[in-house]
Amino acid sequence: MTKSIKVAFAGNPNVGKTTLLNHIAGTNLSVGNWPGVTVEKREGYLNYKGYDIHFVDLPGIYTLEPLSADEWIACDFLVEEKPDVIVNVIETSNADRDLLLTTELLEFERPMVLAFNMTDEAAKRGIEVDAQHTTELLDIPVVKTNGRNGHGTQDLLDSIIAASEGHRVSKPVTYSERIEKSLGKIEEGSEDGKVEKHTLLKLLSESEVATEQRKELEEFYHGRIANIISDERYAYANGLHAEILKKRITSARDLTDKLDRVLLHPILGFLIFLFIMFLLFKVSFDFSTPLMNWAQNFITGFLAPVVASVLASFGARKWVLGFFSEAIVGGVGFVITFVPLIATIYLALAYLEMSGYMPRIAFLMDRFMHKLGLHGKGIIPLLLGFGCNVPAVMATRTLEYKKDKLLVMTMIPFMSCPARLVVFSFFAIIFFRHPATVIFSLYLLGIVIGLLTALFLKKTAFRGRLSHFVMELPPYRIPRVKTVMKIVWMQVKSFLTRAGTVIFAASVVVWVLLNTPPGLKNQSDSAAAYIGKAITPVFRPIGIKDWRISTSLIPAFLAREIVLSSMGTIYSAEMPQSNAKIEFWHALGSQIEDLGTAMKESVISLFSPSISSLQSENQNQDLRQVIRSSFTAASALSFMIFLLLYTSCLATVAVMAREAGNKFAIGFLGYSLVIAWLVAFVVYHVGSLV
Amino acid sequence: MKSNSHTEQKATPIDSRLKKPLRPKKTLKELQVGDVAQIVEFSNPNDMSKKIEAMGLRRGKQVEVLQRLGRGILVKTNNSRIVITSDLAKNIEVK
Repeated sequence: MTKSIKVAFAGNPNVGKTTLLNHIAGTNLSVGNWPGVTVEKREGYLNYKGYDIHFVDLPGIYTLEPLSADEWIACDFLVEEKPDVIVNVIETSNADRDLLLTTELLEFERPMVLAFNMTDEAAKRGIEVDAQHTTELLDIPVVKTNGRNGHGTQDLLDSIIAASEGHRVSKPVTYSERIEKSLGKIEEGSEDGKVEKHTLLKLLSESEVATEQRKELEEFYHGRIANIISDERYAYANGLHAEILKKRITSARDLTDKLDRVLLHPILGFLIFLFIMFLLFKVSFDFSTPLMNWAQNFITGFLAPVVASVLASFGARKWVLGFFSEAIVGGVGFVITFVPLIATIYLALAYLEMSGYMPRIAFLMDRFMHKLGLHGKGIIPLLLGFGCNVPAVMATRTLEYKKDKLLVMTMIPFMSCPARLVVFSFFAIIFFRHPATVIFSLYLLGIVIGLLTALFLKKTAFRGRLSHFVMELPPYRIPRVKTVMKIVWMQVKSFLTRAGTVIFAASVVVWVLLNTPPGLKNQSDSAAAYIGKAITPVFRPIGIKDWRISTSLIPAFLAREIVLSSMGTIYSAEMPQSNAKIEFWHALGSQIEDLGTAMKESVISLFSPSISSLQSENQNQDLRQVIRSSFTAASALSFMIFLLLYTSCLATVAVMAREAGNKFAIGFLGYSLVIAWLVAFVVYHVGSLV
Repeated sequence: MKSNSHTEQKATPIDSRLKKPLRPKKTLKELQVGDVAQIVEFSNPNDMSKKIEAMGLRRGKQVEVLQRLGRGILVKTNNSRIVITSDLAKNIEVK
């Protein structure tokens, strides 16, 4: 018979709980080197030695007295759900801090395992934990783990089972005699018999039944009960620390201190920050462009004709071939060619997240942000927004004050995500001589509109004093290539999944509407055209006069890339079908050869000082030619601005509704539409004059 | 500044707000880059100060100021580095 065990991973922020869980349960939960990556409880399952183990990864907490939303989630789970085993993950180098939470967790008097993590880093600092002695003192299993390579995870699993099987609870935490006596009295008075220490202390600090004991203690210690209890806990944690950790004196300055001298230098640090941002932008473009060109050519020039000729040889009907070339190749295939761009931008962002630099940007930028009345810690969700707005909105949970949280949330959707970049990179190349500059300006415009929105709200709805903050900076760590690759793969996989599901579905719907009623001669009589023409009056003032574009904008609310897949579907129906026969093996050979050239170009372009690669563009000319006929430079720009500013992403609206309420989300969506339209309007009219 | 300034005044937070301390106390806010000091007390205990203590900035700990940028102060205690804004740092008395 299998037995199920519910295990909670608890510990201070950024001690490696999620990384350990990924090793143990084979999960792919996102990780990073900064406090606050995990903001919700996340789960993993494992069948091990006949046990069904259900792991729950909790957001990091410093104490069981929560302030921010993510901390509440962790504390509530530990108190209410009563996990069978608590795994308390401790960063060995910071054990003096972490042991306070350990003390509080021990008060639950539940089966518990201590996992001393990052023992390798600690060893370099001359810090070593005596696991054997800790077990003797606390009577619970203690293991040493290393999240980087997974060492010790086997021990951890065995300890979890031992802890749950033996129902072994730790030796009770004992505080000073006077407190213990008071707690004893409270327990005597309780009807439930044995009460765990966590509850007793809670009763002592706030319940009516303990008024007498509380008064007695407060008089004796000349202090408030909350302080008396916390002093006791600190004393216990310090005692434990002195007993179980050995420290050799090593040289005080480590690599992080040395790097911070430069990277957090008031002037130099800021310049380096700008340079790093430029580099991020450059790498994302230059590295991916040759590969994207290859991918486009591979799909339209090789894969599509090959599959089409196979279909034709099976005697497929004309509409099947049409569906294939328009909805599949034109729509989904077109979007898939942007995979290299998606992969490189996430690669760059993964390094930013894993190295430990990201929270430092918050520290660097708070200097400017706080002058505008904004919170420096809010930079982290904004930076995450460049990766994807959805987790960015979730990340606002780490902010302690609701006002800050909402303020940051109203800025996030203006941070341009890779889905938008995909659209920009396509349009900017067609219409502008310096596409990189245009795209960069669009990113800046998003940031400026976000700032203005926040400033406006700060002066009206969210008035009040600027809140203070406290934030931990992690040590710099060199990201493991394997971990980074896994992050990139997860993102590419999710992009491909989107292409295969929602983008595919949207392409099919657009294609069907385009061919409704059946047997149409002229596309502009189709249902799709009818719908597009109906909403064109709204977009005409911002320069979008073509029904083919307004039609594409409707399904784009699901996800922004759909604007491209829809256009691809619509426009490829208009393009002449190429019936050129291709010689399979010869074509395959030259495709492979081209891939080699593209990779070489990608690497070489990294060494040029400016962003250059977007400028030499000649692939997929057909579609570009057709699209060129529907836009002018001004209307293309206005179109991109509209798509940048309006929250055209169902997932973002949904997550905002979950985190801040329906009213807020819908209200913001309306606001973003208005602002997008207005800015596009101005840009279009000014642009048309130039 | 003498270290006994705080032992003489075991005042509750309300009292310390009412009467001005006889000798000015030095706070974390006033430390310069490179200064090393020891945390003596939190002058205005609240939920936030509890969190700060739990993060490792607690009584008796030695802290070193690594950098100051605007209102942010980067301090190091043992192996952790913490950024704290000056309006929180002014409530942390040091010697």
